[in-house]
Amino acid sequence: MKFIVELALKNLARYKRRTIITAIAIAVGLMMYIIVDSMLIGAEYESMRNLRWYETSSARILDSGYWENRMQLPLDKNIAQPYRIIEELRDEGFVGTPRTTFSADMILSSEDFGEEGNLPVLITAIDPRTDNDVFRFEDTLIEGRFLRPGEDAVVLGSWFAEDLGAKVGYWVTLVTRGNGGFYEAMDLQVVGIVNCPNPNVNRTLVMMPIDTAGDYLAMDGAATEINILLPDSKDANGYLVEIQSIIDQSDDNLAVYSWEALAKDYLAIAEAKRGGTGVILFLVFIIAAVGISNTMLMAIYERIRELGMMRALGMTDSAIHMAFIIEAGGIGLIGSIFGVIFGAFGNFFLVNYGINFGMIMRDMDMGYRIQSVLKGAWNPSAIIIAFLAGFILSMLVAWIPTRRALKMDIPACLRHQ
Amino acid sequence: MIKVEQVVRDYQAGETVVKALKGVSLEIGDGEFVSIAGPSGSGKTTLLNLIGCIDALDSGEILIDGVKVTSMDKKEKTTYRRNNLGFIFQTYNLIPVLSAYENVSFVLSILNLPEAEIHQRTMAILREVGLQGMEDRRPSRLSGGQQQRIAIARALVKNPRIVLADEPTANLDSKTGQEILKLMKAMNEKYHTTFIFSTHDQMVMDFADRLILLHDGNIISDERRSV
Ligand SMILES: Nc1ncnc2c1ncn2[C@@H]1O[C@H](COP(=O)(O)OP(=O)(O)OP(=O)(O)O)[C@@H](O)[C@H]1O
Ligand SMILES: [Mg+2]
Repeated sequence: MKFIVELALKNLARYKRRTIITAIAIAVGLMMYIIVDSMLIGAEYESMRNLRWYETSSARILDSGYWENRMQLPLDKNIAQPYRIIEELRDEGFVGTPRTTFSADMILSSEDFGEEGNLPVLITAIDPRTDNDVFRFEDTLIEGRFLRPGEDAVVLGSWFAEDLGAKVGYWVTLVTRGNGGFYEAMDLQVVGIVNCPNPNVNRTLVMMPIDTAGDYLAMDGAATEINILLPDSKDANGYLVEIQSIIDQSDDNLAVYSWEALAKDYLAIAEAKRGGTGVILFLVFIIAAVGISNTMLMAIYERIRELGMMRALGMTDSAIHMAFIIEAGGIGLIGSIFGVIFGAFGNFFLVNYGINFGMIMRDMDMGYRIQSVLKGAWNPSAIIIAFLAGFILSMLVAWIPTRRALKMDIPACLRHQ
Repeated sequence: MIKVEQVVRDYQAGETVVKALKGVSLEIGDGEFVSIAGPSGSGKTTLLNLIGCIDALDSGEILIDGVKVTSMDKKEKTTYRRNNLGFIFQTYNLIPVLSAYENVSFVLSILNLPEAEIHQRTMAILREVGLQGMEDRRPSRLSGGQQQRIAIARALVKNPRIVLADEPTANLDSKTGQEILKLMKAMNEKYHTTFIFSTHDQMVMDFADRLILLHDGNIISDERRSV
């Protein structure tokens, strides 16, 4: 046994160049694995955060009738006295803000935009005083100013504004049906442009003050939703139960929905994508495996006569297997160690500085809710998997060519070359 | 005692069958120094491989000390070779990454002998084959003759009953070849090890105590000679 280990290690040391090249191939494969995994986790983590910060908030109170027909955005299935509920929530330590969401036709006048046009839009009516307690739009303002209560104004997402050719100071007209079905038109001025890190939002965002919208739509103080910021905690469900009991006291029809429920489609896609990324990672492994099996094939092939000699002298097949497996395992170990070191090193920069993907994300809808800088995330299990896989896989792939060589009869081995 | 009885070995070479041995019979006693000679393709290597239990015969039987080789399975053959046989090859077949010492000592390592005994026996046999002081050299830093001396040491270190050498001098110049043969002869006399070596070189045949001539898969002469 000692001789076998020594022989394997000496062969490793002897064929230094080949050992190093293969180990580097493995290391690069594992590094790719660690970094790709980190990026995917980072993208997902940030997507979910951006989803909560700019789309769903942590939890949302809706009329249960609204929830059932949420595709139609029914204004009549609303929360009649949102501020009273927000007040009650605040007494229990929760922060909330009302919103009303409705669809409209946006009419562009040739005066401002050069030519006439109209397009369907989704309007988010917010309370400028409290929206930023729950959402994060104020930080993303890049032009003009944020909304003020009661004004006839809109704020646009920067990609949407660019597509439209809208600038601060331009006027747009929104035509929609108010609460009750009547048609209503409102002239609103663009007062600000935000660059929202959530590309889905930045591509479509039109925001206006909720009281202005309420007047036009005859909401009578009602809102379609209350968005809530929950403290970061493991026990989100506990909060939901608590909130539900608070709102049950004032209105039987209201229910609170977690952001996971609100973003169900997105999460389903993310889940599917995780399967897809598994395929990518699998491919990375296949590449590493092919690399080492090729190396071991060469190593075994050029030593067939040596092998025949050892077999003639009475060395057992299992001892020969062992020698090659140790040799391959040695290469795998070196490759895995460097792969993990390089991977951790690369990931350090990825986690702390990130990569700027801004331009790519704009033109390509990848479904991720991220824009600009993508940061990685540490995932110890991926690093451990990479390490073990590199090491174990190397030994496994040495098995097959060794077995093939051992199937040759000894005279054929001795005649080889 | 090796007994070869009516051994036939056919090789399938594509469509045709090559009859490498066509019913060879012979007996080789313990401690003999035998040369198997004959032109290329006459079946020398085939016969040595069969005696060395690294090839399987098609009919006939070989008995080594009364044991039929056809009754041994692969594992038993491996064990048999490990304990009883030494091989010397035309191309030395040393392990390039190992030193002279390690190329010899590994034979004892796979016999699981104690470290001290391995060391003592390896050093002794290297001294006997004239490689004292070169223990640490890799094969690539030794001449062909020196490499074949390692191979002889490797074959003899475990004190085998039989050493099989397929054209052991074919890669050496005649002076070195003679030295190697003298060494083999000396070992044969000292340890009473049976040596069977093949050759097609007249000078090498002259060294043998007994010369078996093969031609076309048949033995055409078998003569003992006094030296
Ligand atoms: N694996 C094989 N497949 C097919 N034919 C073979 C095989 N091995 C040997 N032969 C044939 O068997 C015959 C005997 O071969 P063998 O190698 O025993 O001869 P040899 O006397 O050792 O010759 P040489 O002096 O060239 O080494 C030859 O005709 C050879 O071509
Ligand atoms: Mg031959």
